[in-house]
Amino acid sequence: MRIEISYKFIIGFLVVVVSGLVVNLAVPYLQIAPEFQQIFTVACSLVVGLIIGAVFSRMFTANIRRLTSAGDQISRGDLSEDIQLRTSRFPDETSDLAISMNHIQESLRTLVGDIRGIAFKIASSAQNLSSTSQQMSSSAHDVARTVDQISKGAETQAEMVEESNRLFKDVAISINLVATAAGKVAESANQTVETAKSGSELAGASLASIRQVLAEAESSSQQMFNFIGQLQRISKFVEVINGIAQKTNLLALNATIEAARAGEYGRGFAVVAEEIRKLADSTTTSADEITALVEAIRAEGQLVQSSMGQVIEEMESGRSAVDRTNQAFSMITQNAEITRSKSSSIAELAEQQISSAEQISRAIDEIDKVVSDNAAATEQVSAATQEQSASMQELAQSAMGLSTLSESMLEVVKQFKLAREEPGL
Amino acid sequence: MTLTLIFALGEADYGLEIDAIQEIIEDPPLHYVPRASGSLIGAINFHGQVLAVIDLPGLLGFSSEKRDHRQLVLTPRCKSLVLTVSNIQKIVQLDLATLQPPPANSESGAIRGVASLDEMKINLLDTDKVINQLRNPPT
Repeated sequence: MRIEISYKFIIGFLVVVVSGLVVNLAVPYLQIAPEFQQIFTVACSLVVGLIIGAVFSRMFTANIRRLTSAGDQISRGDLSEDIQLRTSRFPDETSDLAISMNHIQESLRTLVGDIRGIAFKIASSAQNLSSTSQQMSSSAHDVARTVDQISKGAETQAEMVEESNRLFKDVAISINLVATAAGKVAESANQTVETAKSGSELAGASLASIRQVLAEAESSSQQMFNFIGQLQRISKFVEVINGIAQKTNLLALNATIEAARAGEYGRGFAVVAEEIRKLADSTTTSADEITALVEAIRAEGQLVQSSMGQVIEEMESGRSAVDRTNQAFSMITQNAEITRSKSSSIAELAEQQISSAEQISRAIDEIDKVVSDNAAATEQVSAATQEQSASMQELAQSAMGLSTLSESMLEVVKQFKLAREEPGL
Repeated sequence: MTLTLIFALGEADYGLEIDAIQEIIEDPPLHYVPRASGSLIGAINFHGQVLAVIDLPGLLGFSSEKRDHRQLVLTPRCKSLVLTVSNIQKIVQLDLATLQPPPANSESGAIRGVASLDEMKINLLDTDKVINQLRNPPT
């Protein structure tokens, strides 16, 4: 049964009063001198009052002391024990206070537990954050390195593109030279074709002349042959004449012999025979001269014929040479035609190459632009990455700070003792 | 003065009086005479007579290469022999008064003497001595 303290005091007062009255009433029945009856009553009342007061105050102060010590405990952070007041049949405000304090303690305990859990979570999160930010920082470093490499690569690329452009311009110049040279070659080939054609015509004309001369030489040779044949006929006639002269000479000799044998009668005949012999001798001499002459003419004719043969041979070789020359000219013409067509196609190809080269040059310029843009973008990325890296470091530092903070918070929260069985928490 | 036929034997000029010559013939068909010896080189048919052909240069010790295609047929007084000679030239009048005896070292005894004709020295042939040589060939 709950009785408030004020009521308890009232009840105590009433008990003292009642005890005074009771004693006052009971005193006459006690063998106590009347003079002492008053004193006795007062004394009894005082005793009762003292007892009640002592009991009351003891009970009250004990509760208060207990509450105070519980408050001290709480203020020290020990939340492990609930406040247990002595069980009383008549609880009062101290019990309420104890219950309230217990509530407070409970709430504090929950709060501290929550705070501790949260602090743990924060600490672990901060650690995670720290490690993550460190990882990110290292990743950012990697990225920065990579971007640096990309930047260097982009520089190299730009240089190479520039080099390519320069080289390609050289190539374009070379192609131009080739085109010009091919044009000149085509022109030369054209001239060669013309020259070879006129040469071929000349060779043809020479060939015709040579053929004509050859025919004439052959007919001359034939005539010379015939002439030598005629000479041989003359030789035969001369031989006949010579034979006749020899016979005549023999006849004259024999006639002389016969005339001598005839003696005086044969004298005139001997003279005639002598004359005939002389005629025969001069005939022989003339015939010999003719023979010598014919022989000389024949030798000359043979010389002429052999010279003619040599001339004909030389003409033949000349003709074959001119033939070969003609063939060579036609070969030259063919080759020059081929050269002309090939050089023309080279020139066309070179023209195409020039336009392609211009396109390629433009494309290289575009590439150059892109590479420059890339380089700029890469630098921006590099800057951004550096910024990111700095941010990451800051973040890591913040995470470290947060971790420290959460640890110190844990330290603070550790001062609270929540339960006996979990002192480490 | 006597008519003499001039011909050559070897390098020297020889002469033969035409009294000893029957006829000069040209390239008669020469017949081979079996077992003929010495200077007999064959036989010819002369107007139905068979006449012996004598290699005169060979007989007199000359080279008989330049044999004339004409041969001399001697008179029957000279045994009708046929003589081969070289280079029959002509018939000249030879003055026998200029005849000189043959040199002592003459290679043959077939010469009557040496006559002069213009610049030429003519060895005048002695037919009797030739015939003698044929009969008694020198060993």
